[in-house]
Amino acid sequence: MKKLFALAIVLQSALFAQDIEFKATNFKEDKEGFKVAEENLKLGTEQYVLGNTELFMVRDPELFYRKALQFFEKCDKFNPNSSELNFKMGVCYANISEREKCIPYLKKAFTLNPLIDPFMNYYYGFALQLEGDFAKASEYYEKFELEYNKADRFGKFVKQRKTECTAGKTLIATPVRAWVDHVPDLSSEYDDYSPTVTMDGEEILITSDRPNGHTANEVGRYDDDIYSSMMYDGKWQTPKPIKGPINTVKDDVVSNYHYSGNRMLMAKMNDAGNMDIYESFLTGAEWTAPVSFARMINLESNDIYASYDHNNRLIYYSKDKDGGTNGYDIMVSGVQNYRERDYAMPTRENTVSSQFNDGPIYLHPDGKRMFICSEGFNSMGGFDIFISYKVKGGGWTIPVNLGSPINTPYDDFFFAATANGKFAYISSNRPGGKGGYDIWKVIFWGPEKEPAYSVEDYLLASAGKPLTDAIADEVQVADAVNLTVFKGITIDHLTKKPVESVIDITNNVSGQVTDQFTTNSATGKFLLSLASGGNYGIAVKADGYLFHSENFNIPEGSAYNLVNKTIELYNIKVGSKIALRNVFFDTGKSDIRPESNAELDRLVQLLKDVPTLKIELSGHTDNTGSASANVSLSQARAEAVVNYLVMKGIAKNRLVAKGYGQDRPVDTNDTSDGRQNNRRTEFEITGN
Amino acid sequence: MPFAGFSQGDDDLTPEERAYRDSIGALNESNAAIAASQKAYNAGIDLFKSKNYSGAIAKFSEAYSGDPNFTPALYNKAMAENMAEKYDDAIKTLGQLMEKKPTMAKAYFQRARSYQGLKDYAKAEADYLKSISLEPTNPKAYYNFGTLKFTQQDYDGAIKQFTKVIELDATNAFAYNDRGSCYRMQDKYPQAVLDYEEAARKNPNLAFVLNNIGTTKTKMKLYDDAIKAFNRALAVDPKFALAFNNRGVTQMKMNKVDAAVMDFTKAIEADPNYAPAYANRSGAYFKQKKYDEAKKDADKAISIDPKLADAYVNRGNAKEMLRDLDGACDDWHKAKELGSEKGKGYYAGNCNE
Repeated sequence: MKKLFALAIVLQSALFAQDIEFKATNFKEDKEGFKVAEENLKLGTEQYVLGNTELFMVRDPELFYRKALQFFEKCDKFNPNSSELNFKMGVCYANISEREKCIPYLKKAFTLNPLIDPFMNYYYGFALQLEGDFAKASEYYEKFELEYNKADRFGKFVKQRKTECTAGKTLIATPVRAWVDHVPDLSSEYDDYSPTVTMDGEEILITSDRPNGHTANEVGRYDDDIYSSMMYDGKWQTPKPIKGPINTVKDDVVSNYHYSGNRMLMAKMNDAGNMDIYESFLTGAEWTAPVSFARMINLESNDIYASYDHNNRLIYYSKDKDGGTNGYDIMVSGVQNYRERDYAMPTRENTVSSQFNDGPIYLHPDGKRMFICSEGFNSMGGFDIFISYKVKGGGWTIPVNLGSPINTPYDDFFFAATANGKFAYISSNRPGGKGGYDIWKVIFWGPEKEPAYSVEDYLLASAGKPLTDAIADEVQVADAVNLTVFKGITIDHLTKKPVESVIDITNNVSGQVTDQFTTNSATGKFLLSLASGGNYGIAVKADGYLFHSENFNIPEGSAYNLVNKTIELYNIKVGSKIALRNVFFDTGKSDIRPESNAELDRLVQLLKDVPTLKIELSGHTDNTGSASANVSLSQARAEAVVNYLVMKGIAKNRLVAKGYGQDRPVDTNDTSDGRQNNRRTEFEITGN
Repeated sequence: MPFAGFSQGDDDLTPEERAYRDSIGALNESNAAIAASQKAYNAGIDLFKSKNYSGAIAKFSEAYSGDPNFTPALYNKAMAENMAEKYDDAIKTLGQLMEKKPTMAKAYFQRARSYQGLKDYAKAEADYLKSISLEPTNPKAYYNFGTLKFTQQDYDGAIKQFTKVIELDATNAFAYNDRGSCYRMQDKYPQAVLDYEEAARKNPNLAFVLNNIGTTKTKMKLYDDAIKAFNRALAVDPKFALAFNNRGVTQMKMNKVDAAVMDFTKAIEADPNYAPAYANRSGAYFKQKKYDEAKKDADKAISIDPKLADAYVNRGNAKEMLRDLDGACDDWHKAKELGSEKGKGYYAGNCNE
């Protein structure tokens, strides 16, 4: 609730803002203060009126307005709410270089009292125009036009303002391809203008009325001097006064650096008090004392802002007319005698001169284009920069506005382009600077840039690399051909006699039978080579013998290049008789001598290894002694062997002991050897 | 039945048995060497296939030193050396091979390739001619010879060789394509297209041939036809980044910027490291005034291929509009150094006040 109330109060006071006039009744509490203020207002108004007169005549009102402001500032401190004061201050600022400062004053004046002055609507429109509100500004200009009935020259101002608003609307809506950046390194809070740059863009000359050590005038302003700055590492150095006897205690204004870089046009105030055009030459690092350009050029008028022409035949410049009301116009004059500085009577270049101030002017080195600055034509406010083209046969086209953002409703003038045309330096008092006129840089985008397109093709099917053949194929690696010699022998387990047998060697990894051979019948030997690194099976077959198989490894590696194997086979043929030649008894006795144990143990082993084997153990003698005694002895001996076997774990039912005495000789009994052979223990396989 | 003796000694060997045993030992050694050689050779082939050429070279060397008659190992070694661009080594290896096999056409063929790699075109030509003389009906040598001529910009010479290939092998799509490219380099676009179309008929699965038709038609300003050709290429190979990219460029020429952006994006999807697509998309974004995106794409293109001149041009354009004229000038200057005429022009016109 409280807030609403407060808001209401604020609104109310806004609606009924008080115009506090400079009347004694309004300042009863400070009579002294009011007296001073009143006096200041009077003095200020005197200057103000003088300024208005100059303005009306399209002459320079600056000094008067500045003087007026000095007084008005003091009044403003005392009473900022006077519509009249605000209006007057607004008008002053509107017509000097610090133009943007006028806006708050004019708006305030209008708000406090829209009827304060017959020109209020005009200047209110002026403030709106500066802000870019062209439509609304037009309305107020219209309003003013209807009210202002005097048939004096002010009509042309209103007309121009309206033209400007129309132009402004279009130009702002269709900006040109450029940026405009402030150049703080070259600017100051004072007026910095008339930039002119060398062809290579390395040096710039400007004019500035920044403090220069001379005596300031009555409004605290200094005289114009010419400054030079060098471009270093992409930045402009602090501007320094131009070298040589150029700058004086009066105004010195640079106009145009010649394309060659060795001379320049400038203007300075002569003793009669008007501006003339001079020329200076660069010798070494210094400029020469300026020389008056030409008699016919430097007349009693203000002749200023000259530009060289590309073929040095002509000179273009800006000149005002004493008693005239068109401000400065563009003049041209042709050389008659170069050495003697004899130029023809200048003529007005009509198409590029308006009813308002025209100039400065720059001629492009190509001779076909001219850049002119003018307050007339279709400027959108203040000075704007235009371009005009040479017409074949002579003359120039009507200037065309360079557009936004190069131009604004403020003053935008001077135009120093670099050689490649990408940049141009101008002067402007648009908002965003340091104050007054500043140097700004225009960057032209140029024609629309086309992207670069990257296209790739495989023009050659082999994409640049020659075809290649296929590499030669893989090979079958011959399997680990490391061989081992395998030798061996097949023998009867019991008798150790060679047995001819058939051996199959199987490679257990592949399952294939790799070798098949028969061992030597006389020796039972065999010899072959087998690949190392394998696991083999040996299968041995011999008639009457138990089938034998075993498994053995031949490891990989050179250590195993020879393998020797003895294969013992078991005789198991029924009816086979095998003599145990290594079984011994004491004479006439049946006690087995200990030397027999080895053989008997082999027999035990055979019986254990072949559990189905049944044998008949038989004892035999020679024919010495009685037959019956021999039978008993041989029986006893056979039984002894059987007992031994049983004792060694063989089941008795597999064994039969039989003594045959001398009944079954195997050899003759007539010889000692024969008799020995007959004395034997034998076994016969009776079952398997 | 564990009983058997298993002796290692040679104590009971007869002299004959001993001799036998020794001969087996010697055989084992030689077999081992050959086996090692073959193993190394096969390992070399595996390495070659997986593009590890230096590994392959080492293996083939090993194979050859194990068995000096193993000429395939020499041949493959030379092939690997060529693939690894060790052309001098390949030439030496092939020299060795030629000593053993002086009429091996393939050896001359390979050595011609080595010389071509060293840009010693005269020697390459001599070897190709020798290879051809040894195998006059082998189209491969003529083909490579043709590419050699193309590389030397002797397009008439190249045409002769490719024509010969076609004579020997009427189905050789590559030869038609390459001959078409010769005509294209001579600006004889209609003839180029005829050969490209023939190549496509011989082998409809060669996307790059169809792509060549597309770019040639673009040069002829037959943009609709060009798009059709690119479409064919992409039908064959839906991931052919080049075709997407080139189609996008043609779209730009037809002022279809949105379609172009889509095509460049597809190119990037097909091959995320294809710098030209990023560079071109940068240009398309520039036209759409999307300067931040344009700069980003150009940055990416440059990070992939720091020598892509077009990317620098486009990044310069974007930087200028982003108010970094110094950066733009650096980029145009770099583009100029890399051979871009556009970069040269923009630098001259916009930089050095």
